[in-house]
Amino acid sequence: MKFNVEVGPQFEGERVRKDDLYIEFGGPKVGAKVELATIKKMDEVEHGKITIIGPDIGDLAEGGSYPLGVQVEVAGPELDKDMEPVFERRIHQYCNYIEGFMHSAQRNDVWIRISKDAVKKGLTSLEEVGKVLVYLYPSELPIIEKVAVTFITDSKKVEEFLPSALTVYKERDERVKGLTEEVVDEFYGCTLCQSFAPTHVCIITPERVSLCGAVNWFDGRAASKIDPYGPQFVVEKGELLDANTTIYSKVNEVVAEKSMGASSVFCLHSVFGNPHTSCGCFESIAFYIPEVDGVGILTRDFSGESVNGSPFSTMAGELSGGKQVEGYIGMGVEYLRSPKFLKGDGGLRRVVWMPKVVKERMKDSISPEMFDKIATEEHAKNIDELTEFLNKVKHPVMSGEFS
Amino acid sequence: MSKNKEETLKIIKGEDAWEPVGPTPLPDITDLRNWSMRLLKTYKPFYAPFCDLCCNCTYGKCDLTAGKKGACGIDIATHQARWVLMQCCMGLSAHGAHGRHLIDYLINKHGKDYKIDLGLQVDVEAPIIRTVMGLKPEILGDLRTVIEYVERGLIHLVSSTHTGQEGHYLDFENKSLHAGMLDLLAMEAADIAQIAGYNYPTSIADTPLVELGWGAIDKTKPVILAIGHNAAPINATIDYLQNNNLEDKVEVCGICCTAHDVTRRSDRAKVVGHLARQLFFIRCGIADVIITDEQCVRTDVPEEATRAGASLIATSDKICYGLEDVTEKEIDEIVKMITEEKKQVLILDPDKAGEVAARVAIAIAPGRKKEFINEKTAMKLAKECNGCNLCSEACPNLLSVGKSVKEFADGEVDKLSETFKLCFTCGKCEQKCPKNIPIIKIMQAVATKETYKMRSGRGPIHDVEIRQVGSPIVLGTIPGIVAFVGCSNYPKGDKEIAEMMDEFARRKYIVVASGCAAMAAGMVKDKEGKTIWEKYPPGFEAGGVLNVGSCVANSHIAGAAIKVANIFAKLPGRANYECIADYILNRVGACGVAWGAYSQKALAIGTGFNRWGVPVVLGPHSAKYKRLYLSRKEEDDWNIMDGRTEKMMDEYVEPAPEHLAIVIESKERAIVSIAKYCIRRNDTPVGRQIKLNHYIALYKKYMGEGFPDDLHLFIRKPTDVPMFFKREVMDYLKKIGWKPRQQVGLPTLINTYPTKANIADIK
Repeated sequence: MKFNVEVGPQFEGERVRKDDLYIEFGGPKVGAKVELATIKKMDEVEHGKITIIGPDIGDLAEGGSYPLGVQVEVAGPELDKDMEPVFERRIHQYCNYIEGFMHSAQRNDVWIRISKDAVKKGLTSLEEVGKVLVYLYPSELPIIEKVAVTFITDSKKVEEFLPSALTVYKERDERVKGLTEEVVDEFYGCTLCQSFAPTHVCIITPERVSLCGAVNWFDGRAASKIDPYGPQFVVEKGELLDANTTIYSKVNEVVAEKSMGASSVFCLHSVFGNPHTSCGCFESIAFYIPEVDGVGILTRDFSGESVNGSPFSTMAGELSGGKQVEGYIGMGVEYLRSPKFLKGDGGLRRVVWMPKVVKERMKDSISPEMFDKIATEEHAKNIDELTEFLNKVKHPVMSGEFS
Repeated sequence: MSKNKEETLKIIKGEDAWEPVGPTPLPDITDLRNWSMRLLKTYKPFYAPFCDLCCNCTYGKCDLTAGKKGACGIDIATHQARWVLMQCCMGLSAHGAHGRHLIDYLINKHGKDYKIDLGLQVDVEAPIIRTVMGLKPEILGDLRTVIEYVERGLIHLVSSTHTGQEGHYLDFENKSLHAGMLDLLAMEAADIAQIAGYNYPTSIADTPLVELGWGAIDKTKPVILAIGHNAAPINATIDYLQNNNLEDKVEVCGICCTAHDVTRRSDRAKVVGHLARQLFFIRCGIADVIITDEQCVRTDVPEEATRAGASLIATSDKICYGLEDVTEKEIDEIVKMITEEKKQVLILDPDKAGEVAARVAIAIAPGRKKEFINEKTAMKLAKECNGCNLCSEACPNLLSVGKSVKEFADGEVDKLSETFKLCFTCGKCEQKCPKNIPIIKIMQAVATKETYKMRSGRGPIHDVEIRQVGSPIVLGTIPGIVAFVGCSNYPKGDKEIAEMMDEFARRKYIVVASGCAAMAAGMVKDKEGKTIWEKYPPGFEAGGVLNVGSCVANSHIAGAAIKVANIFAKLPGRANYECIADYILNRVGACGVAWGAYSQKALAIGTGFNRWGVPVVLGPHSAKYKRLYLSRKEEDDWNIMDGRTEKMMDEYVEPAPEHLAIVIESKERAIVSIAKYCIRRNDTPVGRQIKLNHYIALYKKYMGEGFPDDLHLFIRKPTDVPMFFKREVMDYLKKIGWKPRQQVGLPTLINTYPTKANIADIK
C-alpha cells in the first residue's frame, strides 16, 4: 500500500506543535466534533467506501480549526457489540501511525492536528486517512471483513450526527457500569508477559484490568476472538469458591496450567492468602503495611521512597517474576476505581497511603469521607508519621472497622 | 585444577544470602567453556588474516598457507585465533589496569570500607559482578576483589598464547570470550568505583548538557587539556580550581573518554571531541597544559606539545614518554621546572598532577599567543603544493587530501572543509609531503568553529526504568535496544553515527551511546539546530537517547540486558552466567554497533558482549580485527529447546540473532541489519509484528522495493505479519510456499549442551 506520507508505529506519540501546524480538526476551539465506530450487518457496509461530507484538507485555509465527525462502520460475522469501544479506540491508534497526523482524546472531545510537512508531502485529503483506516482494520483484526469510513467537516452535518453518537456512548457507559464479574460468563487471561516471566498469568475481569493497565475486559474479549490460540484467551469462571477474596474454580485451573504449576489458587481481590501473581510491568503495587494493618499504593513513576521506606524498584523486586507473594500485588492503576478493588481486604477503606498525584487522579472514585483519611507523601514519609496521621483522621484501620 | 570451594565462598562473601550462590562462582577459563562452544557451534569463527605467516618464535617464521603447519604444529586458524586472544588480552588489561589504578587511588582517598551507593533508583548495583562472580559489591574494597579476580584470569589467558600452549582455534575463541567477559567485569568495577568515589551522577537520567566541539573552548582563558581515559588527574584539577574559586577563570577540556569522565565531575568542563581530534587540537595551540593519562593517547604528544608551545604533564605509568619522574618533588618546584625550565614531566600522583596543571596553566597562559591561522595565510601555505598527491596515497581513509589542498590554494574552501569533516587528523599525509606543507594546520582555517551539546554520562540504567520498559518491550512498542559504542574510525565521519542513532530513536528503539561514539553523535545538528542529545529524551525508554558515559561505562549497557533478566523476569542472577546469557541471547532484543571501533579494547568489549548473547555490528574498518562470528542461516544449528516442555524443537530454523559479530560495509545495510538483529525467538506476536515492520520499512527505504530475502524465516504465524504490509507479505509468503509453524514458548539453549546451569532457574 502506497501513501503520500509514511505510515508506521514510529509516528505514535509524535506531536504536531503550533509552529508546525497546518490545520486542526476538533479540539478546544471547535464545538462540533465527534468520533464513532459501530458494528453493522455484513450487507450494510460497502468495504473500502470513503465518504467526505464538507470541505477537504486542501480546501481549508491554513492555520484554522475546523469541525469534524469521523464515523467508522465495520462488519464481520464474528463481531459482537461489546467490541465497539475496542474498535473505536483503534481510530486513535491508526491515525497516530500517520506521519504528521496527531490524534488525541476521543468521542466528542476528539482533536486532530495535521502538520505543514505532511500537507507538503501530499496529505491534502482525508481520503488518504480513510485509506489507511480501511487498510489497517482488517489487517490487524482479521475478524473485521468490511470497513467504511465517513468524514464530516460540515459544521451543520456534524451537529446533526452528534446526538446519535451521544446516545451510543451513553448506552455503552451503562453497559460498562452494569458489567460485573457476576454478570459476565467469562473472563480473559493474558500470557503476553510469559515471554519474559514464564509463570505469570493475568486474569482480566470487567472489574480487574491487567497489571500493565493496557488490557481491559473488552480488549481481552476482542483479542481472544481474533486469535483464540493467541496470548489472550477465554477463561471460564467455574464455581465461586470464595465470594470475599474472590476465588473461582476454573480460574484456578487455568492459572495452574498456564503457570506450569507454580500457582494453583488465585484470589482475584485480595493481597492475602493466594494473591494474583505479578509479572514485571505492573503500573503500581498494593502493599500491606503490618504496623497499621492497612494497605499502601505505590506507583511506578513515584521516584522517592514510599511510606514504608522502600522505593518502587526495591518493592517491585519483592513481588515480580510470576511469584505469589503474600502482602503484595502488582496492579493497573485503574483497578483502584473498581467496585471490587481488594474486596476481600476492605477495599478503599483499607487504603492508608498513596502518592498525591494518584489520589488526585482517583478523586471521583474515592468517597469524600475516605478521601481525607488517606495519607500521601505530604502527610507521612514514614510509618511513625503515618500512624500519627491515621490516628488524627480516625482512619477505619485504626479501629479495625474497614470491612 | 579444581577450585577450593571454601575459598571461593569466602571471596564472594557466600554467607551474604542476598540470593543463593549459583552454579559458577568465580569461573575459570574452562567453567563456561561449554557455553562458548555452544555459541560457536552456531556462530562460527570466520578468519580473515592479514598475514599468512607466524613470526612468534625463533623456529619461524612459518608459512601457514594452504594447510601448512608451523614448526610448533599450529595451523592458520588456530594461529589467527591466538592472535585475536592476544588482542583481547591487551584490551582487557587496559581496562583492568585502569580499574586497578582508579580503585587503588580511591581506596587511598576514602578507605576500603567506603560504601558504594548508586542512589535510590539503583538496587542491583553491579549486575555483571553479581552474575559472573557471585559477589555483591558493597564497599570500594569489594571492587578491588573484582580486579584481583580479573588479574588472576588474565595471567592464565596470556599464558595460553605462548608457543606450545593451546592447539585448537575453538579453545582460543573460548578464551577470547572469557577475556571479553572479564573485560566487561573490570569496566563495571572501574565505573562503579568512580561513580561512588567521585560522586558522578547516578540515579538520574536527565544529566546536564555539556559543551562539545573544539570551537567551544574559550582560548582567552588558560586552557587545560586532558587526553586519555583515567580522569583522576584532571578531576584533581577540577577540585583544585573549585577549592580556590578559580573554576570561572580556567578552561578545562578533554579528548576521548577522560573528557566524558571529567564532565561527570563538573558540567563546566568541555569536550573537545573524540580521540581522532588529538593532533588537530594540539596543533591549534589552544591548550596551555596537556595532561595525558592512559589509552588511546598519541605516542608523540611530547613532540607535538613542544611544537605547539604547550606544557605537558604525563601522569600514568603506562605512558611515561621517557620523561623525568618528579612525583616526589614539591609542587612549587615542579611548577617552576615546567614554567621556567620548560620541562615536560611525569607525575604519578594524580592529586599533585592536577594541581600542577592548574597552576602552570594560570602562570603561562597570559604569555602565550593563541591565534588560529587565518584563511589567507593558510592559502599561502597551500600554494606550495605541487600536486604530487603522495598525501592522498598515504591517507588511511583514502581521502583526496591533495586535491582539496590544491583547490584550497586556488581559493576553493568547500572541498577542504568537507575533507576535514571526514579526516581523523592522523597526520600521515604531512609526513609524506615533499614540500612539508602543514596540512593539519591549514585545516584550522576551514574547520567549523561551531559548538555542540552532549549529554554527560549518566552511569547505570535504573531498576525502575527496566520495569517501565518491561511492558512496552513485551508488547513490542519498543522494538529493541541499540547501543552505539566505541571509537571514531567511521567511514564517513561523525555524520553516519548521528544518522543511524536518529533513525532508531525516531522508530522508538532505546538508543544508548558511550565513549567516542557519544561525542561523534553530538557533532551533527538537525534543521532546528539541535543535536541528537537535545532532540530526544535522556531516559531508558522508547525513543530515548542515553549517554552512559566513557568506555568503562559500556558495562552498564550489558548491565541493562542482565537487569531485564534479573529484575524484570526475576531470574536468579548470582553466579549464574549461562542462565542469564541464555536469556539475553534468546529474549532481549539488543544489538551493539561499534561503527568506528579501532582499538584492542573495542575488540575485547565486543567479544564480551558476544558471550552475553548480544550481537555486535562493526563498521567496515573493523574487518581488520580479522575474526567474526557468523552463522549461515538455515545451514547452522538453530535447534532450540522449549523450556516449558523441555522438548527439543527440531527443524526450528529461526536465525535470531543471525550473527554475533559481523562487519557491514555501508550505513544503509547496517541500519537494515540492526533492525533484524533485534529480533528474538521469544518475541510475542505483537512484538514480532513491530520488529518486522521496521525491518521491512527500513529495507524498502534503504535497499529498494520488495522484501528481505530471509523475511519468511522470521514469520511464525500470520499474526507475526506487520499490519502495514499484511496483504503484500501474505501474497509473497504464498508465492514462496511458506508454512506456519509453532512459536516456542520458552526458547532456551540450556540443557541442549552439557551445562552447569539449572533449567529450573529459567522458569
